Amino acid sequence: MVNIIGHRKLWLVIAGALVVASVVAVALWGLKFGIDFTGGSLLELSFKNRPVTTDLASDLASFGAENVSIQPVGESGVLLRFKSVDEPRHQEILKHLGEKFGEMEEKRFESIGPTIGKELRTKAIYSMIIVLICIIIYIAWAFRKVSKPMASWKYGVIAVLVLLHDVGIPIGIFAILGRFMGVEVNSTFVAAILTILGYSVNDTIVVFDRVRENLIHAGGDYENFDKTVNESVNQTFARSINTTLTTLLALVAIFFWGGESVKYFALALIIGIGLGAYSSIFIASPALVLWEELTVRKRR
Amino acid sequence: MNKIKRFFANARKNLFTTARAKVWWLIILILAITMLAGFLNYPNYYDKGVDWLKKTTGISLPQFYKLPFRLGLDLQGGTHLIYEADTSAIPDKDRDDALEGVRDVIERRVNAFGVAEPVVQTTNAGASQRVIVELAGIKDVSEAIKMIGETPLLEFKEQAVPAETELTADQKKEMNDYNAAAKKTANEVLKKARARDADFAALVQEYSTDEATKAVGGDLGFITKNGIYADLYDDAAKLKVGGVSGLIETDENIGIIKLEATQDSKEAKANHLLICWEGAQSCAGDLSKEDAKKKIDELKAQATAENFIDLVKANSTEPGAASSGGDLGWFGKDMMVKPFEEAAFSLKVGEISDVIETQFGYHLIYKTDEKIIKEYRVSRILIDKKTKAEILPPAEEWAYTGLTGKQLVRAQVQFDPNTNAPEISLEFNDEGKKLFGEITERNVGKPVAILLDGEPISVPRVNEAIKEGKAVISGSFTIPEAKLLAQRLNAGALPVPINLISQETIGAALGQESVARSLIAGLLGFLAVIIFMILYYRLPGFLSALSLIFYAALVLALFKLIPVTLTLAGIAGFVLSVGMAVDANVLIFERLKEELRLGKPLGSAIDEGFRRAWPSIRDGNLTTLISCLVLFWFSTSMIKGFALTLSVGVIMSLFSALFITRSLLNFIAPWFQGKSTRLFGVKNKK
Repeated sequence: MVNIIGHRKLWLVIAGALVVASVVAVALWGLKFGIDFTGGSLLELSFKNRPVTTDLASDLASFGAENVSIQPVGESGVLLRFKSVDEPRHQEILKHLGEKFGEMEEKRFESIGPTIGKELRTKAIYSMIIVLICIIIYIAWAFRKVSKPMASWKYGVIAVLVLLHDVGIPIGIFAILGRFMGVEVNSTFVAAILTILGYSVNDTIVVFDRVRENLIHAGGDYENFDKTVNESVNQTFARSINTTLTTLLALVAIFFWGGESVKYFALALIIGIGLGAYSSIFIASPALVLWEELTVRKRR
Repeated sequence: MNKIKRFFANARKNLFTTARAKVWWLIILILAITMLAGFLNYPNYYDKGVDWLKKTTGISLPQFYKLPFRLGLDLQGGTHLIYEADTSAIPDKDRDDALEGVRDVIERRVNAFGVAEPVVQTTNAGASQRVIVELAGIKDVSEAIKMIGETPLLEFKEQAVPAETELTADQKKEMNDYNAAAKKTANEVLKKARARDADFAALVQEYSTDEATKAVGGDLGFITKNGIYADLYDDAAKLKVGGVSGLIETDENIGIIKLEATQDSKEAKANHLLICWEGAQSCAGDLSKEDAKKKIDELKAQATAENFIDLVKANSTEPGAASSGGDLGWFGKDMMVKPFEEAAFSLKVGEISDVIETQFGYHLIYKTDEKIIKEYRVSRILIDKKTKAEILPPAEEWAYTGLTGKQLVRAQVQFDPNTNAPEISLEFNDEGKKLFGEITERNVGKPVAILLDGEPISVPRVNEAIKEGKAVISGSFTIPEAKLLAQRLNAGALPVPINLISQETIGAALGQESVARSLIAGLLGFLAVIIFMILYYRLPGFLSALSLIFYAALVLALFKLIPVTLTLAGIAGFVLSVGMAVDANVLIFERLKEELRLGKPLGSAIDEGFRRAWPSIRDGNLTTLISCLVLFWFSTSMIKGFALTLSVGVIMSLFSALFITRSLLNFIAPWFQGKSTRLFGVKNKK
């Protein structure tokens, strides 16, 4: 049996540090929002002879496109981002680039007006709040039976805190990725976060269920609460790791071979779902024991 | 005999009633469903089998039902457009109707474009009303956008009553102020121009508003009594060379001229006789060139100064010659075509020329007079004034009647029975009929204009009131033009203006790339999961792999049957669901192992494992489904695809774990009853 509960303070400190680091990263650099949240244009081109990035940038700027950012894709492709333009302007830009830099092919064009961007942003926030509320209601329902020595609602509170940890760290990581690699946060990222919320909460619930089941079996042995919890964690260990592992295997395949547009979507899921398994083992259960200890100490 | 009978009876009984038989039937059912689903997903193998059967045995079976996957825009290429309808000019209660109208019109236009399964939907986002257009597999997106946004505006207009022609007090003041200022400037310029050693050309550069002559120092060239600057001739005549005039003011401008040079020039007066041939410029006659030559030669032989005018009146083919006698009046140099001019100026007064050939035909010229006139070369500074016409808006030629393409029921291409030229027949609805009747009634004998996008394309004269509500546009159309116009008119005008606020276009090449990539990703993810399960859980792992194959075949078949539109994110959702689908198996197998470790027999361990794993499985999938539901509401089409495939996957994974994996386990259980549990991944306790 692995003694996880024994090192509970260490695990909680690590988790706390990671969450704090994430909050700092987001506060410091913010998230780099994609054009579906900010409005703007995205143009993917494939050149026969790809021009130097700086040439393209200065040329487009002189042609009057605003806030141009350029990112090479693959061997011959270029991803251009600039302020939202209308269709005639889009055609002008294409024609101009074609004349200037030779043969090329337009692979993708998106232009999202600022109103749509604002709407998607609001919707993203609402949908996150709704999912959180649904899941809190679900947690309340899952822990509706009274249990001892700890009140059910405490299990619920911890489950929610763990959930915040599971989504907080991916957001922090994307703040860092956005700052240093230009990775954008778009609506697929929001989808990833919502999926993490739905998926990760289960690991925690399964562990907690096992704890309560074992407490009943142990005939209410409150004195050895930490031992019972540790036993429960060990019993669900393989299950937590394996369910997550199969899901991660699928996600890794998407990350490496699924293509550019779902790459970071898969990455967000990998981070979040991986954290979900980790946190159910190393955070949820130690936190449970710590809370119990604090209440017991107070009572004495 | 009895024995055999009993065997069959038992067999029959066993075949349908015992628990073991049920398991057998379930396995057969599962295999059948998997095969059907597999064939639906990929009918090629079935079809090949059918072909082979036909070749070898001659038995002909139908090919398998073909149902393609529905691919999203990001996989097959295409465009997703969001239009905002500007309904601000429309009362609240009619807005939804107007939006529906926009949708209908866009739908008709898109249909004319020939895209397979276009999507045109309306949505309300807060206060703004939108139409979403999805065109899959379209090549020329730019053209499609043009076509959708274009409003062919058909209007019927009648002649306008002349508009208000008086200036308002403000406009009058504006005009007077402007002109007073112009006058002041002109006086200053005049002073400068008259100063000693004034540089006239420089003053032109600085002040003249005549852009055409500014570059050449205001030089107008030699002016004559009849040329375009005839109104300056008298003023120029009063000046000495080098002299500067006073202000020459008209309604439009103020001019100051300087006389640069004078020259003498001849002017001639003549009559002429023209015989043109068929094909010569402006010729209405039908003489051949040879005949025309013969004729003019004959006339030349007869012509004298006395009878020339009569000959002209009797023979000249010039229109109006019978009354004018071919009199050309006074003309100077550069006013006639070259051969004619040379002949006319070389003649003496009273002489008749030889036959002259020009592009108009053969001429005889009778010179009646000649004089010397003066020509003046002048430079000019021109200062602009404002006129009433410039201030007043241009008068509308055509007045609004209320009859537009809105009241049109149908436009059709037909052909004029006389000229066979294509034209477009229009049929109005009741309101249009009434309006058209009224318009034609009050405009009998007057023209009515049919305008397309503000340009008159046909201006027929009304002969009588038309009550039956039919009209014809007979512009000069080619057949394709007429067809396109009829199509556009039938599609109708948009009831309100629309505005493209979002566009997502994916090229077909990128789509194909994405399909190939996501297939690889899906396959690799699937294999990785299967290998892991077999390595870790052994025999049950193998069974869960079979169950996963069933799961994948069934989910893909469902995607075809529902149908679910597959997008990149949707495929990611499916691959993710493969990973999640084995979760249930993992839960069950872990419980199964626990039960086996407790020493329970395999059969009851399986039942117990399923029973105890069920709550966890249910809860786990429930929360994922909650997230999917919210995601579905979060309506980006890309995200919707993900939410949909993931939910379908999650629901089917429940089915596959509880039904398929369980059936498979029950199926093999008797064979392993009481044997080592190592195959189930349980280490035997020592």
